[in-house]
Amino acid sequence: MTTTPTTQSVQLTVNGVARSGETENRKTLVDFLRDDLELTGTHVGCEHGVCGACTILLDGEPVRSCLMLAVQANGRSLETIEGLGSPDDLSPLQQAFRESHGFQCGFCTPGFVMTTVALLRENPDPSEAEIRHCLSGNLCRCTGYQSIVEGVKSAALALQAGENR
Amino acid sequence: MTALSTAAGIGSTRTVGTAALRVEDLRILTGRGRYVDDLKFPGMLHAAFLRSPFAHARILSIDVSAALELPGVVGIFTGADMAARTTGIEPLVAPPGFRSEPVFGLAIDKVRLVGDPVAIVVADSRYIAEDACELIDIDYEQLEAIGTFEQALDPSGPKVFESLDSNIMLEMSNSYGEVDESFAEAELIVRRTFAQHRVAQVPMEGRGGVSHFDPESGNFVYYTGTQSPHSLKGYISQALGVPLEQTRVVNGDIGGAFGLKIATHREDVALCAASYWLGRPVKWIEDRNEHLLASGQAREERMELEAAVNRDGTILAMRGTMVLDQGAYPAVPFVGGGIVGLIATMMPGPYAFRGFAMSSQVVASNKCTYSAYRAPWAMETWARERMINVIAAELDLDPAAVRRKNFAANDGSVSMLSGATLLDNSCAQTLERVLELGEYDRLRTEQAAARAQGRCVGIGFATFIEGAPGPAAGRGLNEQSIARVEPDGQLSIFTTQAPNGQGHETTLAQIASDEMGIPIGNVKIYHGDTADTPYALIGTGGSRAATLASGSVLHSSRKLKANVLELAAEMLEANPSDLVIEDGLIHPIGVPTVHLTLAEVAARAYAEPADTSEPVLAEPTLTAEAAYDGGIGSWSAGTHFCHVEIDLQTGQVKILRYLVVEDCGRMINPAVVEGQVRGGVAQGVGEVLFEWSAYDDQANFLAGTFMDYLLPTASEVPRIDIEHLENEPNEEVFFRGVGEGGLLIAPAAITNAIEDALSPYGAQINDQYLPPAKILELAKVI
Ligand code: FES
Ligand code: FES
Repeated sequence: MTTTPTTQSVQLTVNGVARSGETENRKTLVDFLRDDLELTGTHVGCEHGVCGACTILLDGEPVRSCLMLAVQANGRSLETIEGLGSPDDLSPLQQAFRESHGFQCGFCTPGFVMTTVALLRENPDPSEAEIRHCLSGNLCRCTGYQSIVEGVKSAALALQAGENR
Repeated sequence: MTALSTAAGIGSTRTVGTAALRVEDLRILTGRGRYVDDLKFPGMLHAAFLRSPFAHARILSIDVSAALELPGVVGIFTGADMAARTTGIEPLVAPPGFRSEPVFGLAIDKVRLVGDPVAIVVADSRYIAEDACELIDIDYEQLEAIGTFEQALDPSGPKVFESLDSNIMLEMSNSYGEVDESFAEAELIVRRTFAQHRVAQVPMEGRGGVSHFDPESGNFVYYTGTQSPHSLKGYISQALGVPLEQTRVVNGDIGGAFGLKIATHREDVALCAASYWLGRPVKWIEDRNEHLLASGQAREERMELEAAVNRDGTILAMRGTMVLDQGAYPAVPFVGGGIVGLIATMMPGPYAFRGFAMSSQVVASNKCTYSAYRAPWAMETWARERMINVIAAELDLDPAAVRRKNFAANDGSVSMLSGATLLDNSCAQTLERVLELGEYDRLRTEQAAARAQGRCVGIGFATFIEGAPGPAAGRGLNEQSIARVEPDGQLSIFTTQAPNGQGHETTLAQIASDEMGIPIGNVKIYHGDTADTPYALIGTGGSRAATLASGSVLHSSRKLKANVLELAAEMLEANPSDLVIEDGLIHPIGVPTVHLTLAEVAARAYAEPADTSEPVLAEPTLTAEAAYDGGIGSWSAGTHFCHVEIDLQTGQVKILRYLVVEDCGRMINPAVVEGQVRGGVAQGVGEVLFEWSAYDDQANFLAGTFMDYLLPTASEVPRIDIEHLENEPNEEVFFRGVGEGGLLIAPAAITNAIEDALSPYGAQINDQYLPPAKILELAKVI
């Protein structure tokens, strides 16, 4: 433990942009994203894989970035909340969440949003039961989930209406 | 409705009463929120706490030498440093007779709970700081620990604080009205003991901060997420000896709080001390295990209760004894155990008892600090609403009938026994409406049929009033605000609220923009920075925002509008009373073509005009402030209705329907109101069915991860249907708080439904925690 930690260089694509960095082998992917790449939109709520706040897409699949090491993402393609719309130009999915008053404190939000992106790509017309099942890997302490479920439903409608982005 | 309520602008910009889209969402939905851990400063170091593995032990020695040698470690501080170089902090708002010792940032000579911070390690990275924690060598002598009420109350047992002769931190007796007479007269006395288990607030963002002392200037800034920036500032200044005027606390976005972050925590003090002594910015972000172990817990109470009743369902009086486990260290500034007084004064609720008495004890144990959690006084509502159902069952009456029989008149003729007004509370109305919406009679018929088929279904409901602000909440704690027109005509509002999910940037802007007559987008709400917000002891808490903060903003905006109109009148050579502001334009009534903007008025107030023949209009100023105390106070009220089905194979409780009828006066933003209610109910579902901050009887903590402390997910929280009654109280500010009511009442509605479902098995629900194993035990399946 008192030996100097070993490092490796990591190259990856984040939201379509090539990024690289030198990281300690033991550094988690979420710490690398937040500290080294300064993408602080992805949050850490538990560091043990339960809360889903750290959910990102890795080659299109939702993963918990607290349970992966940065070095494991070498050569992979990542999507994070920062890759969606901006405050002046929300994506239809973000707009749907805003209109349904989906969130309160916003800490869980990036994880729910990325989980929803993955859900709707795979299943553009989910039932309420499917939505609730899919979201049950993400914890929210503020909302009681109903407004988030409504947001997913209206996001699905918006995307079906061809506002896909 | 009084004339005052219509004084606001009536243009198309009006948003109060609508689900205006939240300002906050633009940043939180795009990953641009700024939470504590998102901060980075040049030269910033990282801290980790080494915590006690023992519930109760004497610290014999601490050896940090090996840890200090680890490359990257910058400093390590222990309790000895805290004792020598800081001042202990003490509760500010403690009831008379409350006993404690001053609280230091780190344990000094002994540890009093699993997770007690013993050392703070500061290093170049958090990874290194945690490595160094493992190199610290501590010699402990384990002591017998206190994990139960009985152990705490055993006079021959160990003491949490050896300077005190017992573990009883507070004793209090409250008695109102005719108690003994009622018990002497009653046809029946009903007794039950109710226990509420220990749970926790668990915001998704834990605690943390970046403490930034600048030795050059002597300025000390603590970036954190607190419900009470000003009280935290005061405690940091006092503990460290930094002058108050050089101390500043700054919030960003806060990822939930629920009462936990109203306190100044010991880690705040230790972190700030480390930064102060090292002269460097230091960040500490709590991990989830630390959070569950040591941040704060709530709600461990046991109440032995008896009710004096007549056979027609009249409840003459209730009396009882209660014990509350405050854990080891008292919360600062609001002692958790201090809530026993509020529990006693609130317990008669909306009912007309003749007498009520409660004797309470607060004991210390070797557990985490008991701290505020959404509706901290909830024990009284749960025990009372359970007891009413117990009485109904004893008397073979419908629980709705017993409530109807005992509701106090709300015409002002009856006050609560403890003195508070019950004027205009709409409890009875919400009960009738929820029974109607829930089709109570039909469900009862169906229940009989379902039981005949062997299904286990139950119906429960419970009624509450929420002081929002209650007569107790508003007193002596004014809410201040400042309103200012900026040179560009934008309106800035400075509030004492410290929002952590409630959407105040939106709701307060709705109030201010309506009042001023400008679009909501022209208002910015400033909060959470002690450098520019008015002083407040509390900040966000006690459901104070809806009435008190909104009322304050209403009044400061109104004063400012009068100033704007006076200046505009001079510019337009008109009479102020002939002018209005609509859609951001100031014009004579009925003549919108002749108009000024706020920016034009501001230009004349703030700058020397190019044409020197026109004087600067310096008076009145474009800043106004106001304070609001909530008037006579009033109640939010409601009844929750819950229909459950229990699977007797698995012990799983399924909530088939959850219905809320509530009345918080006029809603500023119905979407925000509903979010507060649903969030509270979800926490109630969690509290009854899943969550337990479990300790064994030696005070070893058993719920240190999210695999042990179970939060309800989207699969467990049911759909929650809400109907609002918008009775407007007889006050000029019509909005009432809803922050606490959901969690206040949900456990009662749910446990009443479960007891109803299990009644064929003779089950009595006396403990609030009902995980599947307990359900099966109650149903006599296991
Ligand atoms: S932080 Fe990764 S699942 Fe909680
Ligand atoms: S909005 Fe606060 S945790 Fe989900």
